[in-house]
Amino acid sequence: MTRWEQERGRSAGWFLTPALALLAVFVVWPLVRAGVWSFTNADLLSPERARGVGVENYTGLWEDGRFRRAFLNTWMFALLVVPAQTAGAFFLALWVNRPEREWQWLRVVFFVPVVVAMPVLAVLWTLLYQPAQGGEMGPVNAALGVFGVPPQAWLRDPALALPAIALMSVWQGVGLQMMVFLAGLQGVSKELLDAAKIDGAGAWQRVWHVVVPAMRNTIIFVVTVTTILAFRIFVQPYLMTRGGPGNSTLSLIQSVYETTFVSQDLGRACAAAMAFLVLVGGVAWVQRRVLKEERE
Amino acid sequence: MKRTGATGGRSASLLAAYGAWAVSLVVAVVFLSPLVWMVAASLREEASIFGGGWWGMDGWTLENYADAWRRAGLGRALLNSTMQVVVIGGGGLLINAMAAYAFARLEFWGREGVFAGVVVLIILPVEVLAVPLFFTARDLGLTGGHGAALAGLTVPFLAKAFNIYFLRQHFLSVPATLEEAAVMDGAGPWRLFWNVALPAVRPALATVVVLDLLAHWGDFLWPLMITTRGETRTVQLSLANLFTQPPVQWGDILACAVLATLPVMLFFRWFQRYIVATDARAGIK
Repeated sequence: MTRWEQERGRSAGWFLTPALALLAVFVVWPLVRAGVWSFTNADLLSPERARGVGVENYTGLWEDGRFRRAFLNTWMFALLVVPAQTAGAFFLALWVNRPEREWQWLRVVFFVPVVVAMPVLAVLWTLLYQPAQGGEMGPVNAALGVFGVPPQAWLRDPALALPAIALMSVWQGVGLQMMVFLAGLQGVSKELLDAAKIDGAGAWQRVWHVVVPAMRNTIIFVVTVTTILAFRIFVQPYLMTRGGPGNSTLSLIQSVYETTFVSQDLGRACAAAMAFLVLVGGVAWVQRRVLKEERE
Repeated sequence: MKRTGATGGRSASLLAAYGAWAVSLVVAVVFLSPLVWMVAASLREEASIFGGGWWGMDGWTLENYADAWRRAGLGRALLNSTMQVVVIGGGGLLINAMAAYAFARLEFWGREGVFAGVVVLIILPVEVLAVPLFFTARDLGLTGGHGAALAGLTVPFLAKAFNIYFLRQHFLSVPATLEEAAVMDGAGPWRLFWNVALPAVRPALATVVVLDLLAHWGDFLWPLMITTRGETRTVQLSLANLFTQPPVQWGDILACAVLATLPVMLFFRWFQRYIVATDARAGIK
């Protein structure tokens, strides 16, 4: 290291302080506080008077029917969304992977819902899913009626509400993962694809035996990100169904929010938030493990 | 013989091209139909939104927009949201770029360790922190009146671990020779950062700003928690309010949804080239 470089290094503090100070106050400190509160009986109005209760908040989580329901709903939502969105985005990327200028509009089309704010879309889809009432019905029911499907009460039927929200969520997010796949596709060897074609491999075979193995890391990345985003679901059910009917769309985040501000049980809410963090961290950890095997 | 084969092949591929166009067009229309419906229905009289008769001249109106603007206090809300995303996008960019530059270019003790600590924070979803963050914001006086609420909406999200990580990667790929010329001229660290490094990573800066603006324009949980008064509401909260407070007027709600989306769409026209360019560049590496 030259003298000049050492001199430069001394200015690092000025460059780092604003960001590190803000991260410490608004990310690390709240995280530490949540961790501490999760072992106490802190309540919303006077958290400073909290007493330690050991792991009671954590063991109590699973006995709490609402939390258990929210936990299962969040998993179910991820199970509905992740395969559909990943596969959908993959095939869309294959379809829109046309470098010509006159095809650029197509990828933009699928990206449009990604840039529209989620609250707007949640409100919009509530109207789209309107059940039939009198002579009126929402556009989804009207469109399905053309094909002879009887009108459904999408968001008011406990069996249909979560799948309906999942469908809307896939529609909203599929363009984002499509873009990621599109970037990954550019790294697939053209020579390999041509060679497969000359060997007489059909379109499906080329996708399955050449494209999918070459994009393994991109696929793992997309599945991980989509899973984490799915776990974080909150806005759609909060606005579209308020978690109903009968808790059938209650999300983990909504249960944390309500435990804080409705039950005012801060300790329990923090324990739930920590459990959520473990869930998300677990997904990221699995991804790292899978990617590591790839490198070895 | 040969010529027939060639023309036959060409017309077959032409047919395939037209087929691809037709399929794409149909899929695109279906895919975008919810948003088209949103705009069209926002221009319909209340009674005729879910009813028939869309093809006639009757039942069209602009009144929903006037009502939505007034009832949802959209003038104020749009201003609040705009200030929120500008402060986060602009202020956050500078703060994160400075830290990223230090991690990429400046030698100091403990650099790798501190950077690893920052990277770990990327995975933390804001939802996990929202509840304790609420108390931190309250303790610091970042809730309540107009100035405090704007600070509460923005200050906690200025520094972002992901943005620091992302910009560091781009600073690392700036060739050192670019800086050497400036060093000869006696430039200090700040001038190297401001005049050399920052301009060299402009596309990455644009990406970070675009992602921040999009994410925070749609913010819901955090504003819901810390804005308690009508005059500090963001656009999304105003929309949610209109959506849940009686009397429920579908036309007003849709008009409000359109107005909440319009700024993003105008902005989208400008930044879509960055999205398209991102995957085009990805092929070159």
